[in-house]
Amino acid sequence: MSERLHPAEWDRDTGPFFAAAREGRLVYRRCNACGRGNHVPMASCRYCGSTETEWRESEGTGTLYSWTTVMHGVHPAWPVPYTVVIVALDDAPDVRLTGSLPGAPELNAGQAMQVWFESIGEGRVLPNWRPAEAKQERGQS
Amino acid sequence: MDNTRPAAIIAALALKDVGFCADVGVGGGAPAAMVGTAAAAIMSGQARHVLVYRSLNGRSQGRLGAAIAPRTEAGGLGSYDEFFTPYGLLTAPQSFALIAQRHRSLYGTTDAQFGATAILCRNNANRTPHAQMFGKPLDMDQYLASRMISTPLRLFDCCLETDGAAAVVVTSSERARDLRQPPALVRATAQAGASGMSGGMMFPSITWTEPTEVAASNVARQLWSRAGLGPREIDVAQIYDCFTITILLQLEAYGFCAAGEAGPMVESGAVSATGRMPINTDGGNMSGGYIHGLNHIVEGVRQIRGTASVQKADAQTCLVTSGPVGMSSALVLARAA
Repeated sequence: MSERLHPAEWDRDTGPFFAAAREGRLVYRRCNACGRGNHVPMASCRYCGSTETEWRESEGTGTLYSWTTVMHGVHPAWPVPYTVVIVALDDAPDVRLTGSLPGAPELNAGQAMQVWFESIGEGRVLPNWRPAEAKQERGQS
Repeated sequence: MDNTRPAAIIAALALKDVGFCADVGVGGGAPAAMVGTAAAAIMSGQARHVLVYRSLNGRSQGRLGAAIAPRTEAGGLGSYDEFFTPYGLLTAPQSFALIAQRHRSLYGTTDAQFGATAILCRNNANRTPHAQMFGKPLDMDQYLASRMISTPLRLFDCCLETDGAAAVVVTSSERARDLRQPPALVRATAQAGASGMSGGMMFPSITWTEPTEVAASNVARQLWSRAGLGPREIDVAQIYDCFTITILLQLEAYGFCAAGEAGPMVESGAVSATGRMPINTDGGNMSGGYIHGLNHIVEGVRQIRGTASVQKADAQTCLVTSGPVGMSSALVLARAA
């Protein structure tokens, strides 16, 4: 099995997301001028243009916005099937984060999702998502 | 975004005194805007005639359906891949599958409606000798039996990967008047981004808007206003179709039906070859060939000239759209009065 892709953690706009994940915290970029969450995070707010944005800690719950079960494999680190999920944060519904689940689980739009922190080697941690009521299905962070 | 840089085209055609060159991005969202840029260059006196081209070795060289990152670290420098590829979101079909699933969740769009969209394009390709899928029929049983790529998108929801090229020459209407071929007038062009868009190429689009408010809806507002026309005045359309879902999104975004009604509209036959407004008459990206949608512009010109294989009788107007999600564009071609 080849190495799984890991996120660049050095980018000034996005690195704090992954630095927080290493500490077991989920953060998102919020605009203090208009109050909206911004993802992907940038220095200024995409909705109102303000630079009064900051990292805010999330409660770590959300709802399932969309998903796809990948059946055609393209990468040796990702044996099929697996399922990519997009989750809207409860505390900032404009913020939609990515997660992945093994296999082809039965999912429904709007169902409750819960963050967990997945270690992917060399100290790197990804905030990941699973159905809120389901038992954890793979490696503990 | 092209495999072939302008200097190579200039050399290959032994052109002299080329005085205007522009690279209009991005990818499949660009072709209609490329024509718009050419028209602007001509109207401002920077050029007399502009060759607008796209050439791709999309099959033998850079396969567009392949995973994007062969390296081990993803993202940084405004690509934003770090939020997607580490989670296994790696390809265009997977990215558009998320949009298709959202459309299903909101509107109940069915497998059979996606299938009808793919089959519509294939039927047109079957009557178009230059189409890649000429002579290869597709029915609903075959569609439903085709392997799942990334739910809900099957093999036949994905466009082709093609080695090919397409080009149009843009010139002034005065010069076009006495050319050997009847001209297709550029009635209007427009280019726009999605509301709430961010940087990054393709994956971040799922974080921008609902599928009903992709860039195409902003292009549409501008285009109809500039053209002085609306969806009811369009006789035939070439709708950018990297996946079946993008046809459905754009039938809604351009106002041919209400949000969520594109699936039933395709099933009704309204956009089939014998319908009120045929679409993708040479098979489009789905079954004709994938030249980033510049092939859609060429087919639009054929419709206005009356030379298409699947010809809409007395076509006066043709809408041509480019990729609907990131920076998008579209144009209206019309027959000269």
